[in-house]
Amino acid sequence: MSSDSRFVPLVLKTDTEPNMNRNFISSACKFLSLVFVFAFLNLTSNAQEISKEPAAISAGETLFNANCKACHRVKSKLVGPALQNVYDRAPSIDWIKSFVKNSSGVIASGDDYANKLYNEFNKTQMTAFSSFKDADIMNILAYIKAETEKVAVTQVPNGPVPPTGGGDGGVSKTYLDVILAGMLLILVLLLIILGFLVSALKRFLDQKELSEEEKEVVHSPITLGTVTSSSGFIFIVVFLAGALGFKAVINGLYSIGIQQGYAPKQPIAFSHKIHAGQLEIDCKYCHVGVMKGKSATIPSVNICMNCHNQIKEGQQTGTGEIAKITAAWENKKPIEWVRIHNLPDLAYFNHSQHVNVAGVECQTCHGPIETMDVVRQHSLLTMGWCIDCHRKTDVNTKGNAYYDKLVELHKEKSKTPMKVEDEGGLECAKCHY
Amino acid sequence: MRIVSTLFVAFSAAVVLTSCGAGGDNQGTEYAPNMYHSVAYEPYSQITDEDAGRWLTSIDYPDGHAEFYNSNKFNPYRMNMRESAPHTVARNKHGWLPYRLGKDSLAFAAANVKSPLDSTAAIIADGKVLYETYCDHCHGPKGKGDGKVAAGGIKVEVNGEQKERSIYAGVANLTSDALKGVSEGHIFHVITMGKGLMWSHGSQISPEDRWKIAKYVKTLQK
Ligand code: HEC
Repeated sequence: MSSDSRFVPLVLKTDTEPNMNRNFISSACKFLSLVFVFAFLNLTSNAQEISKEPAAISAGETLFNANCKACHRVKSKLVGPALQNVYDRAPSIDWIKSFVKNSSGVIASGDDYANKLYNEFNKTQMTAFSSFKDADIMNILAYIKAETEKVAVTQVPNGPVPPTGGGDGGVSKTYLDVILAGMLLILVLLLIILGFLVSALKRFLDQKELSEEEKEVVHSPITLGTVTSSSGFIFIVVFLAGALGFKAVINGLYSIGIQQGYAPKQPIAFSHKIHAGQLEIDCKYCHVGVMKGKSATIPSVNICMNCHNQIKEGQQTGTGEIAKITAAWENKKPIEWVRIHNLPDLAYFNHSQHVNVAGVECQTCHGPIETMDVVRQHSLLTMGWCIDCHRKTDVNTKGNAYYDKLVELHKEKSKTPMKVEDEGGLECAKCHY
Repeated sequence: MRIVSTLFVAFSAAVVLTSCGAGGDNQGTEYAPNMYHSVAYEPYSQITDEDAGRWLTSIDYPDGHAEFYNSNKFNPYRMNMRESAPHTVARNKHGWLPYRLGKDSLAFAAANVKSPLDSTAAIIADGKVLYETYCDHCHGPKGKGDGKVAAGGIKVEVNGEQKERSIYAGVANLTSDALKGVSEGHIFHVITMGKGLMWSHGSQISPEDRWKIAKYVKTLQK
C-alpha cells in the first residue's frame, strides 16, 4: 500500500488516530500532502477520502467478499443494513472505522447512532474485525462507493426479459400428432387396398365356373355379425381376455402386503427435491439417527428451524407451508408426519447396520429420493428383496477389525469375496425374533 | 353365454385384486394385518383410534381397545416416544457428562474448554466427513460461508417465472480474519449452543462428533 492521497486526510486527525503514524514515511511528506489536500478539499466537497483507484477498489472487493458479504450487500438490506452511501450517512469516516473494529465497544460507549442501529437490527451484534487496518477499511469503502455508483448505471437497461421460445412441450406434441395422422393414413390406405383385393378376387372367381354353393359363399355379404360370430374371432377374443385377466389376477395377488408406490400426502408439503436435490443438504443433517440406531429418525421441528427461522418463503408453495413449521415451533406441537415405510412388526431392520457398517447408500433402498417432491416407497420391502441383496452384496470389511478373522476363515474355504449370505445373512433369526 | 359370464367373473376378480396395490394415499392391502401391527409401543407409528382393527381383534385388551391401537395416553399428544427421565444424564462411551455451560458463556468456553481429542489424522478425517454433513451447506466446503443454502444470486424457475432462491443470510466465513484465531472450545460452544444467527446444533451432533468437527474447522482456517 503506497501512501497515496486517500490516506492523507487521516493525517489531519492524527490526534484521534494515534496509530496512524506508522503508515507514513516522513513528516515532510505529510506537510506536502497537507497542502495538496487543502487544495483538493476546495474542489470536492464530500467523500473526498475514498479512493477511486482500481487497485483500492479490487482490494476492497476481496476484503468485502471474504468478511462482509455474509451479512451485508451494497444495495439491499440483509442481516445488516445496505451499505450504499454509508460514507455519507454515518457520523464520520472515523466512526465507521471504530465501529468496524469494535462495534460492541462503540455501542457500549453510548454512541447515539450506533445504538439506534443496534436496536433497529434486532440487537444483532456485528462481528468485531479488530485485525483490520485503517487502510483495509478505506479499501472496502472504496469498493462500496464504486458499487454504489455502478449500481445506478447498470440498473437502467433492465427491460422485460424476452420470452424464451415456444416451449418444447408444444413441439413434441405436434410431432406426435403428425406421427398419429401418418399412421391413420397408412391404415386407411391398407383398408382401401384390401377392399380392392377383395373385389378383384370376387371378379376373378366370377369369371370361373363355380357351383351354386360356391357362388353363394363368394357373394355372401361381409357384415359385423358374420365377423363376430366366426369361430376364429371368438377364439382370439376369449384368449386375449383370458390372458389379460389371468395376468391381472396374478398381479393383484402379488400386490397384497406390498406397499411399493405408497406416496401419502404429508401434513406439510416438504420437498426432498429442493432440500436434498438442489441444496444438497446431506440426508444425515436431518435424519440424524441413521448412523446410530435402528431408526433413521424423522427430524424434530428444531432441525427444520435451524434454517427456517430465517427462510420463510419456499419456491413452490410460497409462505404457506413454511408457516406450518413456525406454528408447530411456536405452539410446541409436534408435526404428525405420515409413516411411509411400514415394515411388518415380525421383521427387524436396523439402519445403522446398513448405512454405517455396510456403507449402503440411502438411494439403494429409497430410490432417487433427491428427485422426489412427494416421497414414495421405492422398493418392495419384501423378504425376497432383502434376501436377494444379502446374496449379492459383498460385505464391507475394509477397516473394520470385527471382520478380520471372519474374512480369513472365509478365504480358506472359498475364492469369491465374502457375501452377506456367508456370515449368516440368510439366517431366520437374524431378522425374525 | 357361459363364456361371457366366466369372463365377467374373471374381470371383476382382477379389478378387485388390482385395488390391493399401493399408490398415492392408498397404502394397499396388508397381508396378515395382526402381524404388521406391533402390540408393544413403537416410536414411529402411532394409531390413536382405539377401534382400529376391531374386525380381527381376538384378545381382550384390559382397556378395551382394538388390535391396531398403538398410542400411549399418558404422554403429551399420546406419543409413544418418551423423554428421558428427569434428573438423569446421558453419558457416552467415554463417560463424558453432558455439556453444562449456558449459551451466554461463549467467552468462558472459548478460553477454558479444551478438546479431549488428539489431533490425529483419523480424527480430522472423521471431522471432515461430519463437517460435510452438518456444516457444508451453510459454511461451504472450505468454510468460506458460501454453501448452497447461503449462496445468493441463484435463480430457480417457479411456475415459469425466474425467482431468486431464498438464502440463509449472515453465514459466517470461518476463514475470515475475525474467526481465524478462535479456539476449538469456541467452535464447540457455537455448535452446541448456537450464536447469533446460527441456531444450536447440539441436538443433532454428539459431543464427540462436535469436537471432531472443531478439529477439522481449525485445519480449514490454516
Ligand atoms: C443454517 C446454516 C448454518 C449451519 C448449518 C451452520 N452454521 Fe455456523 N453459522 C451460521 C451463521 C448464520 C453464523 C453467523 C452467526 C452470527 O454471527 O450471528 C454462523 C457462525 C458460525 C461460527 C462463528 C461464530 C462466531 O464466533 O462468530 C462458527 C465457528 C460456526 N458457525 C461453526 C459452524 C459449524 C462447525 C457448523 C457445523 C456443525 C455450522 N456452523 C453449521 C450458519 C450456520
